[in-house]
Amino acid sequence: MPEIKTQDFFAASAAAIQNPQLRRALDRVASGFEVARLDRVAEATPEVWEDWKQQARDIKVHTIEHLDYYLDLLHTNVTAAGGQLHFAKDATQANEIVAHIARTRNVKVATKSKSMVSEELALNPVLESIGVEVWETDLGEYIIQLAEETPSHLVAPALHKSKEDVAELFSEKLGIPYDEDIYHMAATAREVLRDKFMEADLGISGANFVVAETGSLVIITNEGNGRLSTSAPRIHIGITGMEKVIPSMQDLSIFLRLLPRSATGQRITSYVSMTTGPRRSDDEDGPEEFHLVLVDNGRSRMLADPALREALYCIRCGACLNICPVYARIGGHAYGWVYPGPIGAVVSPMLVGLKQAKELPQASSLCGACREVCPIKIDIPRMLLNLRKKTAESPDESLRSAPKPERALASLYAKLMSSPRLLGMAVGFAKGLQKLERILPFSHLTKDRKWIKKSLVPPLSKWTRSRDLPALPKQTFHDIWKKELSRDDS
Amino acid sequence: MTTPESLGTPKAEFLANVRQALGRADVPPTQPYPRLTDSLPELEEQAAEIRRRLAENLPALLDQLADMATKGGWNVHRASGAEEAIGQIETIVKDSGTTNIVRSAQPVFDQVSVDAALSNLGAKVTTVAQDDENPRETLREEIRQSGVGITGADYALAETGTLVVLPRKGLSRLVSLVPSVHIALVRAEDVLDTLDDLFLLRRLEYHQQGGEMGSYLNFITGPSRTADIEMTIVEGVHGPKEVHMVILY
Repeated sequence: MPEIKTQDFFAASAAAIQNPQLRRALDRVASGFEVARLDRVAEATPEVWEDWKQQARDIKVHTIEHLDYYLDLLHTNVTAAGGQLHFAKDATQANEIVAHIARTRNVKVATKSKSMVSEELALNPVLESIGVEVWETDLGEYIIQLAEETPSHLVAPALHKSKEDVAELFSEKLGIPYDEDIYHMAATAREVLRDKFMEADLGISGANFVVAETGSLVIITNEGNGRLSTSAPRIHIGITGMEKVIPSMQDLSIFLRLLPRSATGQRITSYVSMTTGPRRSDDEDGPEEFHLVLVDNGRSRMLADPALREALYCIRCGACLNICPVYARIGGHAYGWVYPGPIGAVVSPMLVGLKQAKELPQASSLCGACREVCPIKIDIPRMLLNLRKKTAESPDESLRSAPKPERALASLYAKLMSSPRLLGMAVGFAKGLQKLERILPFSHLTKDRKWIKKSLVPPLSKWTRSRDLPALPKQTFHDIWKKELSRDDS
Repeated sequence: MTTPESLGTPKAEFLANVRQALGRADVPPTQPYPRLTDSLPELEEQAAEIRRRLAENLPALLDQLADMATKGGWNVHRASGAEEAIGQIETIVKDSGTTNIVRSAQPVFDQVSVDAALSNLGAKVTTVAQDDENPRETLREEIRQSGVGITGADYALAETGTLVVLPRKGLSRLVSLVPSVHIALVRAEDVLDTLDDLFLLRRLEYHQQGGEMGSYLNFITGPSRTADIEMTIVEGVHGPKEVHMVILY
């Protein structure tokens, strides 16, 4: 698996928020994708959209509840179509399978179309270590590969790079003159990679869906690199998570309506390619071998936890990233692992272990926007709260995300809020303090005395560093209730 | 075909682990899944219903296809007969400035014989047909050298403006993908209304053919595109930059 940096989330996000170039790039993505998505929802009508979402969710719920049955059916039908299905329990095993196929077939050059699961597995270094030249062919992934970085968005992996960054990178790595014209850069990538497609022995793809009924793999792309990778080389290996199976070919129509609209705001992508087995004897071309590698790699842990099972319904559209106020400010790399954004904050702790990623469930204001845009109606805030609960209540000290003093304060607060008598005393005490602040020279109340701009008392001073604290009014609700409102009843 | 190898975790062990995570024994779904368990006669009946609906709405569907295909990035041309279609293809080829053309060997070209007209323009037309004299490598190089690829269609979807291509003898996967310009010839009888229509008809064929799906099912909607650098849309990144749909009715 790639290097896990989820434990540095707080530090990494604090650094990322200071990066103006990243903020500009994130604004572009949020306004581009999310605005287009809203147009598509309006065009479909919100009622129809809601109905599509429910249909898709129903399919996912059914499939995941019977995952063993559909994986078995898939196995039968991949085999019947002349392909081979391999099950991998973890990243090491998945990489070994692909390396074994490459080694025994004397593969020299491999082209890849975009696959988040292969990022999760860190497959490329394994193939390179056995002497296979690996080429990422999605333009964004190609840029990331040249820069030796990781994707920062599920759909737009290189969004954090400016055109100047890419021009510099191309100039340095490809030995061509610096040219920041985006059209020219895309043309350069086309030329370089065209040769590789024709040269490649192995094409590796991910899968957006795999169809149990027919043993088919479905990829949804815009560039055409997916079609080239699965058509030109003599071997095709598809790699994906075991949760991507759907029962019937007919289930595809609803997902093909939801996924592109939610991801990029397109009604449909330029290409949707469904591959079933290797080329048949009377086909003009296509791969001679077809392999599908289905990966668990921690997914059964998600499956085993009823509170987090629905994270497996995710179709990786990225809509929750595009709307998230946290992602919009810190970008994908701060999350420290392959899957960023709200869904990443759920999936990463489950795949790398909560202990290493205990800060990630905090990466949310719980505003609920992610739940609202999710085409599968996944309740991400609920799962984030569940993970927070797990870190807060664990007897294992190393799982706790909050430091001891913060926890002591929180339990004090809980006691206070559950006892009217204690709360009344505390309010009285705080009012006294507030009076003191008003007469003291270091007072930082606003003119209307409704807000405290800067508190000097920690931990309140930490709060007022970035926002004002509402001051206690002369009369609290409790006071008013006691004096006036309760009298109306009698 | 190669002999299956046993790589990774054995299926029984992998599935047992999934069942353990689900917290139950090996039990199949109790409710029938309608899109899997329907019988062949049921599928046939639904397909007949689709065909009836299509025949009734054909003019409106052709308009919708033209509209959605345009929105999807196709240059749409409507031709009322073979002559007109050939004329439109001639113009596209002329404008492309290329003389190397590759076309698939589908039946639609018996009806619309483009070869003679294009040869008159001075273009060289290669037909995809793999044989002893024309092995895979040569064919691939021919396709790579071509500026225009011409194909027929298996279906076209009015819902999305999509061209649907299935593996056929004489149809390379690369003709619609590698040349910079792709021309697709769609006949009125290829036109379907929705994605649901398509997948139902494909399921019916799949079962009629004893569980043979064919090696691929490709949807093409507009040109190849990317927005990976600063969200700027660039057309023609790996596939064609310019795509034309000629609708023959």
